[in-house]
Amino acid sequence: MSFGRFVLKRSLQGIGVVWGVVTVVFLLRFVTPGSAINAVAPLDASQETRQAIAAELGLDQPLYIQYGQYIFDLLRGDMGFSYIRGQEVAGLVFGRLPATVELALTASIVAIVLSIPLGVLSATRRNEPVDYGATLFSLGGISTPNFWLGIMLILIFAVEYDVFNTSGRGVDVGDVAFSVIGSEPFVGTLLAWLAYITLPSIALGTYFMALITRLTRSGMLDELGKGYVQAARAKGLPRTLVRYKHALRNTLIPIITVLGLQLGTLIGGAVITEAVFSWPGLGSLVIDSINRRDWPVLQGSLIIIGTSFVLVNVLVDAVYTYLNPQVVND
Amino acid sequence: MSPDKDNHVNRRTVLTYAGTAAAVGLAGCSGSDGGDGSDGSDGSDGSDGDGMDGSDGSDGSDGGSESFEIGVTMGQMDSGLDPQDHAETNTEIIVGQAYEGLLDRDKQGGIIAGLATDWERTGDGNVRFVLREGVTFHNGDALTAEDVAFSIRRIVFDDVGIASPQKNDLGSIEEVIPGDGEVVVDFTSYNTIAFQLFATNGQIMQQSWVEENDGDYINRNTNGTGPFVVTEYDSGNQVAYEPNEDYWDGDVPVDRLTMSASSESSTRVNRLLAEETDIVTNVPPQEVSRVESSDVAGISSVPSARIIFLQMRYDVEPFSSQQFRQAMNHAVDVESIIENVLNGFGNITGQPTLEGHVGHNPDIDPYPYDPDEAERLVEESGHAGVEITLQTPIGRYLGDVEIAQAAASQIDSLSNVSCELEQREFSSLVQDITTGNIEDKPHFNLLGWGNGEFDGSQTITPLMTTDGALTIMKNEELDGLLADAEATQDAEERVAILQEANQLAHDLAPWVFLHQQFSVYGVSNDISWEPRSDEFIDPDTATQQ
Repeated sequence: MSFGRFVLKRSLQGIGVVWGVVTVVFLLRFVTPGSAINAVAPLDASQETRQAIAAELGLDQPLYIQYGQYIFDLLRGDMGFSYIRGQEVAGLVFGRLPATVELALTASIVAIVLSIPLGVLSATRRNEPVDYGATLFSLGGISTPNFWLGIMLILIFAVEYDVFNTSGRGVDVGDVAFSVIGSEPFVGTLLAWLAYITLPSIALGTYFMALITRLTRSGMLDELGKGYVQAARAKGLPRTLVRYKHALRNTLIPIITVLGLQLGTLIGGAVITEAVFSWPGLGSLVIDSINRRDWPVLQGSLIIIGTSFVLVNVLVDAVYTYLNPQVVND
Repeated sequence: MSPDKDNHVNRRTVLTYAGTAAAVGLAGCSGSDGGDGSDGSDGSDGSDGDGMDGSDGSDGSDGGSESFEIGVTMGQMDSGLDPQDHAETNTEIIVGQAYEGLLDRDKQGGIIAGLATDWERTGDGNVRFVLREGVTFHNGDALTAEDVAFSIRRIVFDDVGIASPQKNDLGSIEEVIPGDGEVVVDFTSYNTIAFQLFATNGQIMQQSWVEENDGDYINRNTNGTGPFVVTEYDSGNQVAYEPNEDYWDGDVPVDRLTMSASSESSTRVNRLLAEETDIVTNVPPQEVSRVESSDVAGISSVPSARIIFLQMRYDVEPFSSQQFRQAMNHAVDVESIIENVLNGFGNITGQPTLEGHVGHNPDIDPYPYDPDEAERLVEESGHAGVEITLQTPIGRYLGDVEIAQAAASQIDSLSNVSCELEQREFSSLVQDITTGNIEDKPHFNLLGWGNGEFDGSQTITPLMTTDGALTIMKNEELDGLLADAEATQDAEERVAILQEANQLAHDLAPWVFLHQQFSVYGVSNDISWEPRSDEFIDPDTATQQ
């Protein structure tokens, strides 16, 4: 199978997954207790008012008609209207997506930049203090719930020492970029951005960082013990070259898989972190939509999250295949 | 539209200038908001607190205080900016900065003038509002009687644009007739609380603006007559306002207002303590001491218009017994719950109408906590040994689960009753509560009810009369009293009837009467602001300290 056909196959599978997500999420509304009408109408609304609202929202139609209409609209790029906000779902969801992507990418970049060198260092200095320190950090990072970590970070670095903001997203990465050409001072805008994004990035990325550190360490230890490394060393190749060009490259293959999966998790799974830091992303939109039974927004959010997972995984498969062409044939 | 999305202006400003200083080697940049504008807000005082005819008594401006920036952080953001397409307090607070109704309320809940300067009943029992002159919408167009009529019709008639969830909030209206600088509202029958309804509901929009724009636009933009103009709307995240320069009530003493939300109460408190916001809502009891012990903020509370109670369905055993229902009232130590669970933020109740509301009966004392009397009444009811389950929503009302746990535990401690607690997600519980069929409702559940009209009938009718949307009671005498209250045109007689209804409700005990919930706010020491009893937040009344 060629590389192109492999990616195409994966993409078609991804479309099937997204369709499955759409269908499951759509059906969930009918088995979940609570009604959107109660989120819209006051408690003492008459049955006539409730029926009028149901008709306006299209909730008085049979299930198959609602589903068919939804799929039809979706294929035309129309994600519908929010039951609660009366606004277009696409606008709401895509309005929140940049904040979540910004947070997920920042957390990932920080985690990757710190964890891979730390894992390599830990593996190459096995049973030395740096290895013990890295192992302790990894265990702590994996064991610490991110909501607790987030609250502690806020209390210490925002409330007590007043270094960072407690919550919100007052400045985004776009502001920083525009400050390069605009009238706002770049360094000041960058510092303001860091004041907002640092704590949620740490809270979200710590688990990720700890996981990659451990994977890198174990992967490196495994590779460094293999025969080809011994042979390379015996041929007189420099230690650094053997470690970073040969051993680390092979170690990165499983790490990239995990990176892809984790990036998808970060996009969809930043729910708690976003709630703790009032970060206006998709996660907080999902929570709000669940609480208010705003099914169109919830569906739209989950479709975007599901699609992100699929896209990231197709991308990871492509990179994985590039690094290890045998996968195509397997 | 302001390019600044940050409501933590000071910190950002400082950081920005710090960065500039670091970059270019300069020092000594100044920051902060400053501003020394004066205000001219007045204190309209021509109110009446009983819903009778009245007139505006605006007494001119006082002026003199400084302008400033203010941030408010609530638990949840709006559900869109259409003022007539929601039924939520948070949305009301956000849209209520830009939109106004014909009448308004003062801090204590009394009726005051809004866009109408005079209001009266016409000979046939309908009501007439005389519109304030010189009022303009934020787009500069003048307010007209046609706009007012259109707005009311949009709320109550399904064919005018939307199926408004506020449809029942203005009573049963036959037609709205615009006139020369006035509007007449024609009710299907005499409406005794017409002015109370209009003081709480019915915000006015511009007809042409509504008709020219679609729902998405109307839910993302505003064009009201209120003291603040929305300059930035970031759905679900933040709304920023600037003062309405042409506001009919004079200068607005706030340079910039920002509304944001944090669903986590600890995050809201942290924002307040980090001086990132000035007012936070719903400070939980366990966080009160942290705020009070800080040197940057304090607690400001006010009894709200919300009553918390345990409903008991009259048609199922053991709650079909009046003695058993009274026993439950004696079994729950409400004062202990207020003291220990709510940190003192609550008033014990013994009737459905709150103190200060029309029809409150001052002669009714709450049921005393008396477990022995409770056990005796249970024996007399013939239900000794019964097992009951109390259902409670989770996180809907201040300390709801903890209150329900305490109440269930106290009932369970009776020697002849076993009580278990079932926690339910609010949307699920409310689906059962709002069913039109009493047989589908829970037998015993905790609920809260906000009475924005400050009138006892607005609690008793929906919750206790036979045809009430949320009723768990059927009693002909109570139905008759409420019907009499609705029919009478004599205000004093109506109050007497409602007081009698409250006495009957106390005796019938369809609820375990718990408490009046308090609105508890954290307020920065940088400002002086008094909360309102109807849960609305009015930053335009805040002053800089």
